[in-house]
Amino acid sequence: MAEGRLHPITVAVREIADIFGRMGFGVAYGPELEDEWHNFTSLNVPPGHPARDMQDTFWLQGAVATNVSASEKESREKELERSVLRTHTSPVQMRYMEEQVKAGVMPPYRVIVPGKVFRNEATDATHEAQFYQNEGLAIGENVTLAHLKGTLDTFFREYLGPEAKVRFRPSFFPFTEPSVEVDVWFKPQARAGEPESEGRWLEVMGGGMVHPQVIENAGLDSKKYQGFAFGGGIERLIMVKHGVNDVRLFHSGDLRFVYGFEENVQ
Amino acid sequence: MKISRNWLQEYFEQALPSVEELAEALTFHSFEIEEVVSSDVFDVKVLPDRAADCLSHRGVAREIGAVLNQLVLSDSLRHPVEPFPESGSLKVSIDNQEKYLRYMAAYVRGVKVGSSPAWLKEALESVGQRSINNVVDATNFVMLNIGQPLHAFDAARLQEVNGKFSILVRESAPEEKIVTLTGEEYALPEGTLLITDANTNAPIGIAGVKGGKAAEISNDTIDIIIESANFDGVSVRKTSQALKLWTDASQRYQNKISPELASYGMRDVLELIQQVAGGELEGVIDVYPPEVAHAAKPEPLEITVEKINAVLGTSYTAGDVKHVFDRLDFRFQFIPFMDPEHGPSEEKGTYIVMPPFERRDLTIPETLIEEVGRILGYEQVKPEQMPELPVGRSADQARYRGIERVKDFLTERGFTEISTQTFAAEEKEGGKSADEKIMLANPLDQTRPALRSSLAENMEDALMRATNVAPRVLGPAAEVKLFEIGTIFKKDSEELSLVLGYKQLTGKQSQTLLSQTLQDLAAELPGAVQTLEMQDGSFGPGVGECILSIDGLIALGKAYEPRKVLLGPYKQFSQYPFALRDIAVWTPEGTEESEVSSAIVGAFQKHVEDMNDVQLARIDLFDRFSKQIDAEEKVSYAFRLVFESFERTLSDAELNPLMDAITAALNQKWQVR
Repeated sequence: MAEGRLHPITVAVREIADIFGRMGFGVAYGPELEDEWHNFTSLNVPPGHPARDMQDTFWLQGAVATNVSASEKESREKELERSVLRTHTSPVQMRYMEEQVKAGVMPPYRVIVPGKVFRNEATDATHEAQFYQNEGLAIGENVTLAHLKGTLDTFFREYLGPEAKVRFRPSFFPFTEPSVEVDVWFKPQARAGEPESEGRWLEVMGGGMVHPQVIENAGLDSKKYQGFAFGGGIERLIMVKHGVNDVRLFHSGDLRFVYGFEENVQ
Repeated sequence: MKISRNWLQEYFEQALPSVEELAEALTFHSFEIEEVVSSDVFDVKVLPDRAADCLSHRGVAREIGAVLNQLVLSDSLRHPVEPFPESGSLKVSIDNQEKYLRYMAAYVRGVKVGSSPAWLKEALESVGQRSINNVVDATNFVMLNIGQPLHAFDAARLQEVNGKFSILVRESAPEEKIVTLTGEEYALPEGTLLITDANTNAPIGIAGVKGGKAAEISNDTIDIIIESANFDGVSVRKTSQALKLWTDASQRYQNKISPELASYGMRDVLELIQQVAGGELEGVIDVYPPEVAHAAKPEPLEITVEKINAVLGTSYTAGDVKHVFDRLDFRFQFIPFMDPEHGPSEEKGTYIVMPPFERRDLTIPETLIEEVGRILGYEQVKPEQMPELPVGRSADQARYRGIERVKDFLTERGFTEISTQTFAAEEKEGGKSADEKIMLANPLDQTRPALRSSLAENMEDALMRATNVAPRVLGPAAEVKLFEIGTIFKKDSEELSLVLGYKQLTGKQSQTLLSQTLQDLAAELPGAVQTLEMQDGSFGPGVGECILSIDGLIALGKAYEPRKVLLGPYKQFSQYPFALRDIAVWTPEGTEESEVSSAIVGAFQKHVEDMNDVQLARIDLFDRFSKQIDAEEKVSYAFRLVFESFERTLSDAELNPLMDAITAALNQKWQVR
């Protein structure tokens, strides 16, 4: 009997988890239905902050109860009700650090978070209201921006090809300081019979050094610990690597999409 | 914001490089460039944290000066404002203390309203603004130059009582309306902050957003009242959102420009109006609560060179850092570190920086690290590998690997993974009532306003579509088998769910395949399945779902290595329906399958030469058998051909002649059955 196929997101996440795994990164998870504290406030985006407008949020009709301890609930009750579809995988940074601190495990921490996120924006060939992001977090006593560059350099060389290289541009995210935009230079895969494509720079993710307030919010001492974080869309990586022209195909449930890739099981 | 190179040039002695070079320099050291519009103009996408100082030519000039290491000749914000004479003709009162920060009003008599001088017109028009008249143009110019929104009212349109004009900043009353400068009428949500004429109670502007028609400057205007104010950013943002009215002014207030800027804006606009429209300043009223003024003063920030290098992973010297702060025109002080054993240390020395008031982003020491990093350039940050994890720590991927183990189990049994939308219809699904679903407050797709409470509904739909496209995708397969693992949403929890879908295409649908698969899963991967309620057909024919156990998956993933799959380039599929045709042919014994298929492909290519959008997407052998015919051993090959076009639906009228041509070609050698 013929074997079935894996969805291209699964294939990509396997490559990503494998590469980062060899650099010491675990894989962490968090809920897709988030509370405001984890999705916004703990990440340095207080209510009324213009940065909340940067990401178009899906809100729920009425908040939904969540399982947190009574003491936690009392201190920030409203904020801990699940009320948004997470707009990014960054809240899992906070959840992961909180859990580790609670369990008495101090840094170093290294995790990636591949997961589905939601943005309330009009969809077209390059925009989808739900897509996957891969988040990365590394916290320690001596983690630097140069480590972020080295880590991403290794990742992209293994994922996109040995010629790939990264560069940083200044950016702004409320939860990192300094913040950078990450561009990667690479050559897209050529289809059989077609000439090799020209290399080009492409904006693929955002990142930076975790904002000290975020580290404090997780219950860690920002004088002692610092680290980097990054996040970017997974569909976009697959699109540039394999030449997919429409992001809406990924979560369409269409069998033709999954079989649109040549597959080679190792 | 559109920025003009000519305008920027006013800030520099040396000729600036081309717009492209400026755009490149800003891209790698400051912020993104939306687009280079012309040889003079580029559109800057100012980052949210810099919008308080850089939605202005002055701010961008300051950036360029720092990035290109060029001296900025003159900066209005570095020249303290002399006190203004106090107005005896104006009264300003504030009814709402939360939504305003500062309100300055100036009374100028005897202006000559007319057209602006050429330089002013050209400056405004170069960045896409329309020239209106010299007074209004002056307010717009100063805003685009230093970032302070300004507004001019025609004093004659306000009521004077006992020789005084009276401006009241208050919230709107129920059902209050205003007609703005551009003539649109807005019904104001109650509580909208307004600028009003206290003597008539009439609104003359929406605070921080737009001026009103009632006090518009006209060619007959002689005396004017100029506003330079600051309003609470959140309040302005809410008003803009409620009225769907975003303006140059509202954009700047919602990004929280400094209240200090108001007096600089007032000074600059008074000077410019004097220059282009004449008139005489009677005086200024400045309502600036001391606590707001106090909060607007920046705090000094301390950073060591050591810390900067420890965060960036660089080895900058104290001199490098000093150079950056000089280029940014910061006021600072350096305190070398006195090591009792090794003497003075530059590296451990501390810079104490007093941020300029307009740099609202410089609030913590780390923001200075960003200044050093970006001005010296992130290309100076060299990639460095992370050290090995300490002994006793390892990368925990157990949960993820457990999930992948279930996926591998299923693909090995012929199931193909799909991914579907999290949003769901509200109506009942699988006998569950709608009130169990979590509803979105602001759905994007009105037909899917809820979060899925199961994966089965999407699977039914996907299975039906997969059945339709199976001949195109799977060829002559006997069955379609799909699965999805994804999050479902219950009122009190999220679960990781597994759904299976199965449809027999030829032959009889098995009633036990799904439950058997799940029993095998439970037996081979014990603990993976949390609830084994699933039965074939419990949601629809050939669809079944179960909840996975996270703890079980973690245990299963601990020592599992997911299979590696390599994907090649993606090949698009046609949006148009494909067409199927079968053809069977008798061949003499010893004829290879490939001979026949090549003949079919050859005949196809010859026929479609002149209509090259028709493609033979697949050719699958679906039957082969031998038989003695007239004492000769013959082999029958039956092929299924799949035709499609990326441009249209193919018709019988064109497919029939095509099949005739293929039949004729095969009949030359063999015998089509």
